[in-house]
Amino acid sequence: MTIARRSDRTVYLLLALCLVASLVASASIGAFTFSPATMARYVGQSLGWIPASAPDALGRSVFFELRLPRVLMGALAGAALGVSGTLMQGLFRNPIVEPGLAGTSSGAALGAALVFVLGGGALSFHSPAGVFAVPLLAFAGAFAATMLVYRISSSFGKVNVFTLLLAGIAVNAVCAAGTGFLSYIARDPQARNITFWSLGTFTTADWRGVWLVGVCFAACFVLALGYAKPLNALMLGEDEAAYLGADPQRLIVRLLIVNTVMVAATTAMVGVIAFVGLVIPHVLRMMRSSSYTFLLPASALLGATLMAVVDVVARLVIAPAELPIGIITAVIGAPVFLWILLREQRQGSAGFYG
Amino acid sequence: MVELRGVSYRAGGALILDDVSVRFEPGQLNVVLGPNGAGKSTLLRLATGLVRPTSGEVRYDGEPVARLEPEPLARRRAVLSQHVELAFALPVADVVLMGRYPHYGRTPHPRDREIVSSALELVGMAHKRDQAYTTLSGGERQKVQLARVLAQIWSDDSREARYLFLDEPTNGLDVHYQLHILQVARGLMSPECTIVAVLHDLNVAFEYGTHFVLLENGRIAIEARTSAEIPANVIERVFRVRARRVRSADHAEEYWRFDL
Amino acid sequence: MNRTLAAALVLVLAPLGCGRGDVAAGPRVVCVSKQINEFLYDIDAESVLVARDLTSVYPAAIKSLPSVGYHRALSAEGIISMKPTMLLTDGNLGPDAVVEQVKKVGIPVLVLKPGSSIDSSQALMTRLGKEFHHEKQADSVVAAWKQAMATALADTSTWASPHPPRVLVMHLGQIANDYLALERGTVADQLIRWTGGVNAIDSVGGMLRLTPELIAKAAPDIIIATDVGFDRVGSADKFAAVPGVAQTPAARSKRIHRVDEIDLMYYSPRTPDVLRKFAGWVHDSTASQH
Repeated sequence: MTIARRSDRTVYLLLALCLVASLVASASIGAFTFSPATMARYVGQSLGWIPASAPDALGRSVFFELRLPRVLMGALAGAALGVSGTLMQGLFRNPIVEPGLAGTSSGAALGAALVFVLGGGALSFHSPAGVFAVPLLAFAGAFAATMLVYRISSSFGKVNVFTLLLAGIAVNAVCAAGTGFLSYIARDPQARNITFWSLGTFTTADWRGVWLVGVCFAACFVLALGYAKPLNALMLGEDEAAYLGADPQRLIVRLLIVNTVMVAATTAMVGVIAFVGLVIPHVLRMMRSSSYTFLLPASALLGATLMAVVDVVARLVIAPAELPIGIITAVIGAPVFLWILLREQRQGSAGFYG
Repeated sequence: MVELRGVSYRAGGALILDDVSVRFEPGQLNVVLGPNGAGKSTLLRLATGLVRPTSGEVRYDGEPVARLEPEPLARRRAVLSQHVELAFALPVADVVLMGRYPHYGRTPHPRDREIVSSALELVGMAHKRDQAYTTLSGGERQKVQLARVLAQIWSDDSREARYLFLDEPTNGLDVHYQLHILQVARGLMSPECTIVAVLHDLNVAFEYGTHFVLLENGRIAIEARTSAEIPANVIERVFRVRARRVRSADHAEEYWRFDL
Repeated sequence: MNRTLAAALVLVLAPLGCGRGDVAAGPRVVCVSKQINEFLYDIDAESVLVARDLTSVYPAAIKSLPSVGYHRALSAEGIISMKPTMLLTDGNLGPDAVVEQVKKVGIPVLVLKPGSSIDSSQALMTRLGKEFHHEKQADSVVAAWKQAMATALADTSTWASPHPPRVLVMHLGQIANDYLALERGTVADQLIRWTGGVNAIDSVGGMLRLTPELIAKAAPDIIIATDVGFDRVGSADKFAAVPGVAQTPAARSKRIHRVDEIDLMYYSPRTPDVLRKFAGWVHDSTASQH
């Protein structure tokens, strides 16, 4: 098998075009439909280039207050989850790894659930304190869970990949039990928030949330890009990476932290969305290359595109009601994943994607 | 030159290396020999600087290796392991390019790509540079790893000291690859390059090596420059076999025969 | 003749003029509360409604209105796309952010909390009458309601007994082993007390998840099961065989009755009739006819 030597730049361009198209579609389609011309008009009005007209008021308000933040939130969440999946697969040198595997997603969910159930009115999402309470507790939960998994799986300063996977399963189970218990004892209003949010939703997206996730993602993404080379070296094994001048232990800890921040911020805002981090890197490897210099930026682009498309589907399928995002990603992701597994079985010992 | 001074290594309660002192000179193909469990691989890992000895010191041309920064060290020192796992389908050239990582920041320079090509030519894998690594045979993969390792310490400044370590690089490979890889290694002998190889096949070792260190239970049993310097009874004791030298009629070739 | 023709033409052509962008004048209300929706029909104000939530299915006529989804999983955009002049709710809606989002685009949200008593429910209906200028209808419905309640309650006062029967009102969930009992503080509980019974479950709240053991321990003399669970099982005899129920006095004397869930969710003008039904079950010690 020969791998085509087309330039990476061409692929990035292609992905970027797909992203733009899907963003426009996502901004346009829904309970309200905005044509590109209409969107341009709204932008012009809000910038003062053309006079605002009264009939446009409602549409403009919906577009800027509801639709646009939602579209951006979806894209950012998709990018964050895609990059996170890539990072984790690099860390574990295993393509069957999810951002939620090291306990990150479920820890974040538990942290947020604590606020929902025990916070009461004072810490509700829209109160002044609540604005920070949910993301902060989500960070804390994700971080605690991830660090616990790391502690359990590292001895004598070295991280054992298999123990990490098993510890992740255990910590996930504990966090899921915690969240389940909280939703069980929750009096009605809080329980509403947990069940709805735990399936993944962009419905409640607003500019504040977009800023939070946007800043976290941007910072973490830039940092992650700097680790592309060491991640490639890590593919050969920890010893080989050390021989090539990397510090595998420090690398692992730093990447875990970057990953935790991204996933926690995303989970705090949109709930638990599965399979994105699993499927995006797979698709990109099959399409093109397993090198992290390519995968990291490409997974951000493709993840954002996928999420924008999924969001459109969520809005259309049972309009005017909406389907939770997590359900759609599971419906798409699980069969794709099974197909990948079967393909791998048939290939036998040719390695992944051989 | 790589020097081990009074090096001991203890792990899990067992003493694997016991007060070993040895010098590996540049311009030689130094070979470490010994039965399984003698401590060969441990010795090599200590010599590469990857692992710290429990006591004693490892020095590169006088400098303690523990004090060297990882990245500059990586530009001068490379290790070819027995078996490198790579589960993802990278093209061969990209795998070799990884050897240049210590040498560039974000993007490789044109010189790096040239070195990759040269390294592939040296090992005879240039014709497969665009092929996926995972489709290669075991012997081909090991050649590609060798190319990577060579690319790592490839230097245009011929006065810079370099260190190459080979840890049983031909394990499980057929005779063609065994010989080819060792031939390349032998061709690298030069005044600046210190080569240390752990080999398991005595005849191959004696054919290609120029300095031999025989380990027995964590200690050096004997050091020699030629196979003639090693008495047969030492081989018999260390490897627990019956050994005898066989010479060709004109005494030009010699090899060992073993029986239980 | 020409004027009649013109009027006819206008009547015929007017609907054609209602394109997507053309919204009829007058109030357009999206209401996601079952009780408020029913009340609007009761006071003949249903024409203000343009959309409902998924679970508002009474009266049957409301089902012709589009649904904006489950009231705990709403989407602001879905609501706003109905171009409403008001979002009407009893406070029981989710996610919380939806209220803010709807307000952000300038649509007022009216929250009318339902009472936990007949009086506050009647006050709610009066309030709705004022809001939509149907005071006369509201007043007359409330008056008739009060009268019916008074008569029904007057009748029940003759029914008090020294040994109040223990009554359990429960849902039998879709999932096996899902028993949900209605506790003190609910409409069902109030009905039980009015008819002289006592709630077999001793806690306050809304719905309590039971186990077969808890049901047996509660030892109700009468069990009133809601329609969904009862219909799934099929008959009173089959219900009496359900684990936990089988060990109760109610099962042994076959005093198991069926009620529509919609009758128990909130106080409404139908409550007096439900009260009479309950009274019949509580005070008639013969076995169920179902």
